[in-house]
This record gives sequence, structure tokens and C-alpha cells, in this order.
Amino acid sequence: MEPILRENEIVANTQAALAINSVENIDKIINALNESVEHISTSPENTSEALSSLSRQIKEISTQTIEEHKEYQAVLSRYGKAIDKKWKHDVTLASNPNAFEGKDKILQMTVALHFICQGKFELGKTFMREAGLEISTELQSQFVKMYEILKAIREYNLEPALIWARSEREKLEKRGSSLEFQLHRLHFIQYLRNQSRYEALHYAQLNFQYFQTQHFREIQRLMCSLVYINRLESSPYADLLSTEGWTNIQNTFATDFCSLLGLSRESPLFISVTVGATALPWLIKMATIMKEKKNEWSQQNELPVEVPLTDDMRYHSIFACPVSKEQATEDNPPMMMPCGHVICKDSLNKLSKGQSSRFKCPYCPNESIPTQAMRVHF
Amino acid sequence: MNKLNHEGLLVLEQPFIKVPLEQLKKSARTSQRQLDKEFSNLSRDINELATKSKQEELKTKEVTDVIEGMVGRLHKLKRKLNDIKEEESMYVSRSRIRLEHLNELTKIPTANIEAYTQWSRVRLGRILVDYMLREGLSKTAERLAKEDGIDKQYVDVELFSQSKRVEQALQKHSCAEALRWCKENKSNLIKNNSTLEFNLRLQEYIELVRFRRTSDAIAYSRKYLTPWSETHMKDLQQALGLLAFSSNTNCQPYKKLYDTSRWDQLIRQFRSDNFALNSLTSQPLLSVTLQAGLSALKTPMCYQPENRNINCPVCSADTLGNLAENLPLSHHVNSTIVCRLSGEIMDEDNAPMALPNGYVYSHKALTDMAAKNNGKVQCPRTGDVFEITQLKKVFIS
Repeated sequence: MEPILRENEIVANTQAALAINSVENIDKIINALNESVEHISTSPENTSEALSSLSRQIKEISTQTIEEHKEYQAVLSRYGKAIDKKWKHDVTLASNPNAFEGKDKILQMTVALHFICQGKFELGKTFMREAGLEISTELQSQFVKMYEILKAIREYNLEPALIWARSEREKLEKRGSSLEFQLHRLHFIQYLRNQSRYEALHYAQLNFQYFQTQHFREIQRLMCSLVYINRLESSPYADLLSTEGWTNIQNTFATDFCSLLGLSRESPLFISVTVGATALPWLIKMATIMKEKKNEWSQQNELPVEVPLTDDMRYHSIFACPVSKEQATEDNPPMMMPCGHVICKDSLNKLSKGQSSRFKCPYCPNESIPTQAMRVHF
Repeated sequence: MNKLNHEGLLVLEQPFIKVPLEQLKKSARTSQRQLDKEFSNLSRDINELATKSKQEELKTKEVTDVIEGMVGRLHKLKRKLNDIKEEESMYVSRSRIRLEHLNELTKIPTANIEAYTQWSRVRLGRILVDYMLREGLSKTAERLAKEDGIDKQYVDVELFSQSKRVEQALQKHSCAEALRWCKENKSNLIKNNSTLEFNLRLQEYIELVRFRRTSDAIAYSRKYLTPWSETHMKDLQQALGLLAFSSNTNCQPYKKLYDTSRWDQLIRQFRSDNFALNSLTSQPLLSVTLQAGLSALKTPMCYQPENRNINCPVCSADTLGNLAENLPLSHHVNSTIVCRLSGEIMDEDNAPMALPNGYVYSHKALTDMAAKNNGKVQCPRTGDVFEITQLKKVFIS
């Protein structure tokens, strides 16, 4: 970036100077013209001298101005070259212009859903009206509800969230979510913070009972903290006052809310485009190489190169057999030998040369027979 | 793995930087042309005046009138130049702001910090505005740019409002706007070997023939089509052959020439020429990035209901999963085992453990579950219950 930034600065300086100079130069010519008008009017006998002097002046100034402009164009072209040096390849080199052919509406739907799950309802409305789309109002009103509850949490009001969590208790528990308890916990801490001992105690008696089997220890801890209610900051329970709890609960709530709708909290469009921006340079590089070798890119049904993904963008287990390097499939599933090492079925059969013959694991000294291997599911 | 590859990420930003550069070049050419023209006129007029005043006695008033006329023209030039320079300095600062924005990215070390998420959200906003503008959804584009705070310098709304005028005229079957545009960009169109102007002229000719204005058509072809004879002889011959056929002919290629879908072709050709001229990509960035991203995420599991993961974009069958249908799958040479209970990646620190039924989960998730259930674990996929002591460590090489 540095060389481009430098060239850009030169462009900026030259342009600014030129803007002033060229106007000044025109003013100079205007002045010269005005002066000569005066001169000619007062002494008409000198007209031709005045005119030729004028012609000289104009020539001089205009040549200078044009020169300055040429210089500016040269500076611009240097800046352009610096840019071309950095961006050599066509961005669309690895893209298929017909990849989404006939899927315009689906693409627009995806974008509309993105706006809605980001809470940009008005924008979503404008878009759907302009593009002539229709989306179930049910989903939209769900998200309106979610953002209302989130707003309440930000204003330290847990009531709406608690009402929702209570009404969805079974579904949440099935998903292993402890949202409802976390909300009660935070509510309890609010009383602690305000040093309202009796309210806290009363709240605990009213609400914690249901959670005692699942969250026994945490409840114990919360109750103990009551003893220190006057000096919680300097007690072993100081961490309860941390504000992090309030940001975390927003995330937990939104994630759970979306997951009950069968959706992910982060916009799938955002994830895909972000991954795409990372993947693109790899694909362009491969496309360049393949173009040189005159291989067609679009004929592949698998990318020719592994695109590195960050851990949080890996959603499925991939098992590539360490022996054959092939990805496992239903016909060629991963098998675990008694030693715990996993290889694909085909590799296992090749190594053992027969169902009952002993063979050595390629990764440790252990020996076993193929029937001892177990199909594993990731 | 979370380290950012800045050089790579910048690849996508080519149009972001090149578009304002093209505008700068364009306005530099315009101001140069204006000055050249006005200055040479000025010199010519002064010299003329000088010769005249030598040859014949001009009244003083006549001389001063001519000079005052020049002053008037120069004031006009000054105003024009001021406008151009103002526009120029806007594009200079726009370039600067964009470069600084890209430079910010190079200071973000890893992908898992908030700064990168923020930067990426701005990028998505830019990509979506580009998409909306190309789709002609200008109200949405404007609103989106405003809500994302990128309306000032990060998007190129003006470019599209210009081209919209041309496209609308073509939709109404008028070539005038498009021809004016061709004239303005003549030198660059020639550089790109564009045939747009010829096709526009041909269309105007076809319309004359369609309405049987034969002599007008011939005159038109003489004036506007013959200059292209060197490169377009065959098209030219076809065009004149058209005179022999009426507009309801079934004879090819004349039927095709009369076809009104030629107007849509002209719009498409104008678009792609306009994009190329302004350094905009031939496809919307949304489709470029989505294709790459969906392919990189796509696995065969995304289309198996029992292996669906709600957080995976490709697994949403109605939207992105559908879009990814015809895209290539991702390629993997190494194994990555993701825990179906916690979503975490399993490795030495959080080893994969097999239940007696062959289903594998992470050590952490299983021990957490056992802690809550008196040492018992339940397989979420089969419902089987096992003791935590029955687990077997799995080795993935």
C-alpha cells in the first residue's frame, strides 16, 4: 500500500497546485487583455504593437498552463501504474457469470432475509417494495420481537426476555440451553447490586427451585454471596458484578432465539461473503495457472485447491483418509482400528489383503484383523 | 489459521480504487481539452485581429470589442475549469479516503477480532450497494449506503445515475443518449475495441428500414455506416440487404436484425462497455464473492438432512443452499473433525472420543454432559446412553 499512498499524495498536491495555478493564469490573460483594451483606447496609434505584445503574452501563459496540465497527467499515470502493479488480475477471473442464472429471486430473497435478521426492517421494506419481493410477515415479526427484547436487555430490563424464555422452556432445554437460568441469575445479581437483600432472597426462593438439579453449584454460590451484600466488591464474589454478564446474555439470548427459528445468529450472507473474500485470491491464483495450462475451470465439480478456513467457519466434519487422501463417503466410510487410528474402508481392505488376515496399523505397531475395525460417525 | 492475508484480501478491492482513478483521468482529459481549445482559439483570434489591423484601418472600438469578447469567453472558461477542478479534488480525496480504508485493514492482525468483523461488515455494505445499483434498485442502494454510513465516499452512486439515463432511453428505443455517450468516450471505446457505436448506428438504420423510409435509410447508411466498412463489411452488406425484406420476413439473418430483442442486446452491450470503461467488474462483486465463499464452504453433508448444521450458510436449503447447488464443492486434503455437541474443532487438547456405537464427540463436551448426568452420556443422534468410562480415544492422523 505504501507506494500507492505516496503516489496518491503527489497526485493530491499536484492537483491542488494546478487548480490554483490554472485559474491564476487565466486571470493573468484576462488582465493582459483588459490592460491592452485600455492601452488601445488611450493610444490607438499603438494598436498593432499592443496586439503583438498581447499575442506573445497569451502564447507564453497558455504554453505554461498546458505544460502544467501535461505534467499533472504524467503524475496521474504514474499513480495509475502503481495501482496496476498491485492489482494485476481481473477480479472475475475465477467466477462463472452464469453461476446464479435463473436464481435472481432467490438471491434477492437471501439479501432481504439478511436485512431482516440484522434488524434493518425499514431497509428490508424498501428493498422488497423496489424489487417486488414478498417475505412471510411471520418471520419478520419474530425478528421484530427479538430486537425489542434485546433493546430491553440493553436497558437492564430482563422481564421480556424472561417471559419469552419461560414460554420456550422445553425447546430451550432440549437444545441444552441454560438461558432461562442465566436470566434469573442476572436478575438476582441486580438485587445484589442494589443491596436489596430481602428482594434478592425472595426472588431466589421464587425462581431458583426449578433449576436446582442442573445448576446446584451456581445457586449455592449466588446464595452465599448474600452474606457479603454490603461489600461485594471486596468479597470472593466480586466477579458477579462484572458488566460482561450483560453483553454475554444478549449474545446467548439472540443465538437461542435464532436457533429456535432454525437460523444462525450471524447472517449467512455475511459469513459467505466474508469467506468469499478470503477464498477469492486462492481461486484467482488457481484460475491463472489453469488458464496457462489451458484447463477449463468450470468443468470441475470440486475446487482445485483447499481454501483455508478459520475454525469458526468449519461446520462439518471432514475426514480425509491419511492413507489414500480421499474424502470419506457412505461407500467408503471411516473405520477405527482397535488401536484408535482411523482410515477409510478401502484403504483398510487394501492393507489387510483379506478379511481374516492380520495387518499392522500404518501409524503404530499395533496389529489387528479387519473385522475388529469399527465404523465411526463424526 | 486466523492470521489475515492482507495482500489476498485486497484483491477484491480493485474496483474500489480504480473507479475514482478512472474518473480522475477522465476529468484531467476534459480540462486539458477545454484549455487546448480555448487557448488555440484565443491565439488565432488575436493573430487575426493583428493582421486585420495592419491591413485595414480598424476602428479602435472594433478592436476593443473583440478583445472584450475574449475576456467574456475566458471568464466562462474559468467557471468551467473551477467546476472541473472541484470535481477532481473530490475524486482525489475520495481515492485518499478509500486507500486509507484499505490501509486500516492491513493493520488488523487476525480474523477473530472485532475490528475485522467491523471492517468486513462495511465491505458487505459496499458489495450490496454495488449490487443494488447494478440491479437498478437505487432507492434501496441509497438507503443502505446511508444506514451503513458509507454513502459519502465508499460507493459510486453517480456513475450509475448517468448510465441509467442511457439505459432508459434504449428501453424506449432511442439511441440518442447512447450515441452521445459514445461520442464522449470515443477514444477509450476505440481502445477497448468496442462495437457499440456501430451497433447503435445499425439499429437506427434498421428502424428507418422497418418503417419503409427507404431513401432516408440509404442516406443514413452512407453517412453513418460506411465509415465502418473496413472492419464491418459483412454487417454492412447484411444491413443493405435488409432493404429487400419487409419486417415480417422469416428469412435469416434479416429476421434477427428486425427482432426488437436487439434493443436488449444493445442495453447489455452498453452496460458491459460502461463497466469496462469505468473499471467496474463485469459481474457484481456480490456474485463474485458469494460464489467463492459458498464453494469454499460447500460439503456433501450440506445436502444431507441428518448432517445439517444451522450455522452453516450452505445448509439453508431455501436460500444459499439453493444458490450453491451448481457450484463446485470445497476441496480438503486434511481432516477436520467438528464436535456435533459443542461445534468446536477436536484436536489433541480436546480429543475426539468414540462412544461404543461408533459416534464421535469431543472429550470436553462429553465430560461436561457426564458431570451433569451422574457420569452418563447420551448420544444425541441415536439416543443411546453410555457410561463415561466406556469412551475410547480416537486418533486422527
